[in-house]
Amino acid sequence: MINAQPILPASRSWRDIPQPVRPRVMSQGGRRRLALTVLRGLAAIAVGGLVIWMGGEVVAALRPAGARAPSPVVGRPVRPPVLITDGVLTNAWLARTLALPRGATLMSLDLFRLRARLLEDPQVAAATVERHPPDGLTVRISERSPVARVMAQAGREEPRAWLVARDGVVFSGTGFDAAMIGTLPWLDGIKLARRGAGFAPIANMVPAADLIAMAKLEADGLYRSWQVVSLGRVASDGLIEVRTRDGMQVVFSTAGDYLRQLARLDLLLDTAAHDPTRSVHEVNLALGSQVPVRFGPPLAPQAGDATGASGGALAPSVPAAAAAPAYPPMLAFPHLSSLSAPPSP
Amino acid sequence: MSSRPTFIGAVEIGTSKITVLVGQHTGTQMVIIGYGECASRGVTKGAVDDYKAATECTHHAIELAEREAGERLDCVYLAQTGAHLEGFHNEASVNVKAADNLINRADIRTVCELAMAKELPAGRSVVDHIRRPFRVDGRVVPTSPENLVGQRLDVGYWTVHGQEQRIADHLNVIRGFNLEVRELVLSSLASGYVVTLPEERQNGVLVIDLGGGTTDFALYRHGGPHTTGVLAAGGAHLTNDLALGLRLTQGQADKLKLRFGRAVVQTRDKGEKVWLDGTFSIGDRPFLRQSIEQITAARSWEILEVVKKKLGQSFSAETCAAGVVLTGGTAKLPGIAECAAKVFGVQARLGEAPPWVAANLRDPGYHTAIGVLYEGIHGESGRRAPSGRRPGLLRNFTRLFGSA
Repeated sequence: MINAQPILPASRSWRDIPQPVRPRVMSQGGRRRLALTVLRGLAAIAVGGLVIWMGGEVVAALRPAGARAPSPVVGRPVRPPVLITDGVLTNAWLARTLALPRGATLMSLDLFRLRARLLEDPQVAAATVERHPPDGLTVRISERSPVARVMAQAGREEPRAWLVARDGVVFSGTGFDAAMIGTLPWLDGIKLARRGAGFAPIANMVPAADLIAMAKLEADGLYRSWQVVSLGRVASDGLIEVRTRDGMQVVFSTAGDYLRQLARLDLLLDTAAHDPTRSVHEVNLALGSQVPVRFGPPLAPQAGDATGASGGALAPSVPAAAAAPAYPPMLAFPHLSSLSAPPSP
Repeated sequence: MSSRPTFIGAVEIGTSKITVLVGQHTGTQMVIIGYGECASRGVTKGAVDDYKAATECTHHAIELAEREAGERLDCVYLAQTGAHLEGFHNEASVNVKAADNLINRADIRTVCELAMAKELPAGRSVVDHIRRPFRVDGRVVPTSPENLVGQRLDVGYWTVHGQEQRIADHLNVIRGFNLEVRELVLSSLASGYVVTLPEERQNGVLVIDLGGGTTDFALYRHGGPHTTGVLAAGGAHLTNDLALGLRLTQGQADKLKLRFGRAVVQTRDKGEKVWLDGTFSIGDRPFLRQSIEQITAARSWEILEVVKKKLGQSFSAETCAAGVVLTGGTAKLPGIAECAAKVFGVQARLGEAPPWVAANLRDPGYHTAIGVLYEGIHGESGRRAPSGRRPGLLRNFTRLFGSA
C-alpha cells in the first residue's frame, strides 16, 4: 500500500525569526538582567558540582571499609638511604651523617634538615634528598676534590693535614686514598681563619688550583717534584712560588699561560740537566720570554770522578771566590725566547 | 518538575501607551500580581519606528511591573497589532480514509496541515493560524470531529501574517531586555476574549478594539474567531482631525477630545461654545461644541464604516446576534456604542472586563494586556501549535535560585 504524503508549501512562521541575545543593543536593564542570568547559571553549575562532590564523598564514606581505595602506607619504616655520589664518600658516612632515627617513616623525615646535615661536611659541595614512596630515600651528592693540603691545628687537636679544594674550602677529607693524598703539594703563604669546627675558605686559591691541575695533567713529572706551593705573593704580585723536593724554587705568573710557563720550565730543566755539575736553584717564569735562572753552587765531584777532578785537566780549578759566589751568576737562555715569540706567518 | 510558579509578562506596545502585566501562573490559575505602564514613544500605528525610544519605554514599563510584582519575568507574551497584519482564509477537505468512515486523528492532522499550508510572499511570516470549526459532510462540528462518522472532512483556517521586519522589531525590543517572547497574540483576539462571553462568541459577536493608532477587530462565530483585521486608524486620528479642523496643537486637541468629543452629534444648540481650558487665561479660547462633536463623530463613523467594509460578507446582522462589543482606549468616547449600532445595524455595547480583574485594571485600555495574559495561558491549547521551546533541565535548575 502506497501512503502518498502531499508536498505542502512551506510557510514561514514568526517563530523562525531569530531572537539572538545581543548585549550591544541591550538597554542597561537588559544587560543587568543578562549578567544576573549568567551569574545564576554559574551559581547553578557551582552548586551542582558541589552537590555531586558531596554525593561522592557520602558514597565513599558509606562504602564498606574493605572496598575503599588503599590509603597511603602509614608507619612503614624507611629503608637505608641510597647514596649516589661523584666522589669517595660511602654509605657508612651517609648513615653516620644523616643519623636517621630507628623506625622513622618516610613522611616523618624533614628533608631540608637532612640536606643541611649533609652540607655541614665541607667535603660535600651540593646535595639533594628525594623521597621514593613508600619507604625509599635517595641522596645525591657532589663532592669536592682536593688539590692541595695544608698543615693546621683545629682546636686542641694535634696539628694534622687538611685538604684544600679548588674553591679554597678546607676539609678534613674522608675516604680518600692515602697515596693520592701524599702526592698533593703543601700550601704555604696563607692565613687560615677558624670557622666553626673547621676553617674559612682560603682566598686566591683558584689560580693556584689551576696551576696545580695543569701541571698534573700536562707535566706529571714536574708535578711530582713539587712539595710546597706558596700563595704569599698571589694577591700582591700575582706570583705563585713553587718549591720542589730538591730545593728548587720556581716562580709562576698568574697572568701568564700556565701551559707555556710549564713548557719553558720543562725545556729549561732538560737543558740544564746536560751540566751535572750545576743545579738549578731558582727559575723565574713570570717575566715572559726572559727566564732568569739562578744556579746553585757547583756540586761536589762524585766518587768516580774524584781522581780526574783532582789532577786532571778536564776539571779546571775554580777559584774559591769564583767557585762559591755569594750569589750564583744568572744565565739567560736566549733560545727559550722562541717559546714565547709569536709564530711568524 | 519545578513547583515554582511561572511569572509571565503580557506586553502591549501600543501607539499611546505601553502596558505590561505580570501574571503568576501556578498551573491551575492565573493571578495578576504586577502592573507597569509607560507613555509610548517611537511607536506609530503599532509599528516601531524609533527603536531606542520604544526600547526605553518598554523596558521601563517592564521594570515597573517587575518591581510591583517583586518577581522577575520568565517569559513574555507579546500583543501584536499594526497595519502590516493581514489575513486570508484557506480551506481544505479530505476524504475520510477508513472504510467505516470513522474519522481518526490522521484525517484531522492531514486536513489541518493542508489548510494551513499556504505559501506566503517574501518577507511575510505567519503570526497566527486561527482554525474555524470542522465540518463533516457539511455539518458544523465546533469541537474535535474525531470518531465521528462522515465521508468528507472540511476545515478552514484564518491565517494572519505580517511583515517579518516589523515583527522582528517587536521581538528585538523585548529581547533587548534579555527576555524571550514565548508567544505572539493578536491584539484583537486578546481583547475579544476578555470582553465577550462564550455564549456571545457562540452566537456571533464582533469585537472592535479602538486603540490610539490602530483599530483591531475580531469576528467570532461558532464559539471561535472567524475573521480578524487591523485598521491603521484610531483615537490619534480623532485628535489629529481636531487639531487640523480647529487649528490646535496635538495636546490641546487631545484635551478637547477627551472633554467634549462624542461619536454621535448630540448638541442641538449650534451656538454653544466650550472653552479650551476654562481658565480664561492667555491662549484659552472658545470653540463651538457642535464642531467638536461633528469632527469626532465623523471620524468615528468612518473608522467603523471601514471596519465593516473590511469585514465584507463575513459580517451580517444574522450571524452576529450578540452584536458589537467595543473596547480600547477610544471606546471611552461618549456615544461610540450608539455610533457602532447605527453603522453595523446590530446592538452595540462597551466591553467590560471579567469580575476577577482588579478595579484599577478595568479600564478598556487594559483589556488587550489582560487578554494577552489570558490568551497566552489558556488560548494555546487546541487552536495553536504548541510552543517548541520547552524549558530545559538547566533552565529549570537555574530557576530554583529564584529571582534576583
